[in-house]
Amino acid sequence: MSVNVLGRGKLADLLRDGVHSDTRSAVIVVAVEGDQSISSIAQLTDAQIDEIFEQPMQRVIGALQEAHSMNCERIVVVVPTTGMSGGACYAPQAALAESARILVKSAARQWGVSGITVNAVAVEPHWFAIDPSVSGPVAIAPRSLSGDVSPVGIVNWLCSATSGDVTGQTIVCDGGLWM
Amino acid sequence: MSSRRLENRVAIVTGAGQGVGEGIARRLAQEGATVVIAARRAETGEPVVESIRSVGGRAVCIVTDVSVSESVDACVANSVQQFGRLDIMVHNAFMGGIPHKLEKAQIEKHWTSMSRTGVWASLFCARAAMPHLVASSARPKGEGGGRLILITSPSGVEGSANIPLYSPAKAAQRAIAKSLAREWGEFGITVNCIGPVAGSPALLTAFDRNPALQQAIEARTPLGRVGDITDDIGSVALFLASDDSSFVTGQTIICDGGSFLGL
Repeated sequence: MSVNVLGRGKLADLLRDGVHSDTRSAVIVVAVEGDQSISSIAQLTDAQIDEIFEQPMQRVIGALQEAHSMNCERIVVVVPTTGMSGGACYAPQAALAESARILVKSAARQWGVSGITVNAVAVEPHWFAIDPSVSGPVAIAPRSLSGDVSPVGIVNWLCSATSGDVTGQTIVCDGGLWM
Repeated sequence: MSSRRLENRVAIVTGAGQGVGEGIARRLAQEGATVVIAARRAETGEPVVESIRSVGGRAVCIVTDVSVSESVDACVANSVQQFGRLDIMVHNAFMGGIPHKLEKAQIEKHWTSMSRTGVWASLFCARAAMPHLVASSARPKGEGGGRLILITSPSGVEGSANIPLYSPAKAAQRAIAKSLAREWGEFGITVNCIGPVAGSPALLTAFDRNPALQQAIEARTPLGRVGDITDDIGSVALFLASDDSSFVTGQTIICDGGSFLGL
């Protein structure tokens, strides 16, 4: 069964190609715009808060509601780890990522009674064009695993029937950078 | 007994007309800070000012709507004009949500006020206060130190089944704090959050209406009670505002008697 992947960009395309499920599922790639870093909070405009945080967050809320209306049994929200780590010059992006990640927990608490699972997958910031030389390091130690890391496998599992006992969780898929 | 740890410091506390903000303002004033009570309505802010003054503290009320950037800018400018400096910015004001089903939630009804007063206002306060916090941190040791404190909630960590859109608004504040802690570290400014569970007027009213709620909260809390707005929550804010916390930044202190142990 194909999975409805909501979002744009290379990560959404990767998941659209690679994720399949035996359940009705939706994957929401949050529109964190890393290419809009700000030089300082002092330069942040109200229009940027609206563009970088408010409008994408409202779309996350709408996407979750859409997934619920489609009777999805599995919902996965994909965010960068920047929400958990924070990022210099990326405050509104980090706010969006963390806001979406915690909304997953609220949704999981409300919708569990209907058998719907809602989880988050947190991936490396580069998937969202966030520059670690600007944001600061995600963690105090380098990444544990080398090579490319893809979230396709974990998203596939979270969309599957076998993940039915897991909800409200964040699984970090970044090769062991954020621990 | 007061040790006047904030003598000569100037603090703005938003939402200080009642509840947690009032408690924080009182505690900072007890330690010598001049406190700006940034309240949406003078009817709530002025009595807090009078109360602080009645015990020898220094306070003024500046009517402020934190959801409007110009209002926050004006509050900061007015404070600096009156007192010559700003050392501590505490953003506590928040327009809480009403219970709702997430699948039926409406942006205007269930999200906008929390986003504006929680997320946008945190950024407004940070942006307006930043140059003054930088100046405070540039003062000789013991004479200043810029502090930004955001009041979040345990629900911003663990989600909420009752008010699902409350949690993301509070979660965003933690991410903002971490981001600004990174961004402002070079200036020596610290940025932290407090996640309180305290006897605010709203919670006490809820207890009056539903005694079972109070029993449930106390039963799940290792310390067996909710926090006092001044002695419990205000004292944590005092720590974060004072020189004692000069090496603590980007953190959230959950101040709830041990109810939430998930960090």
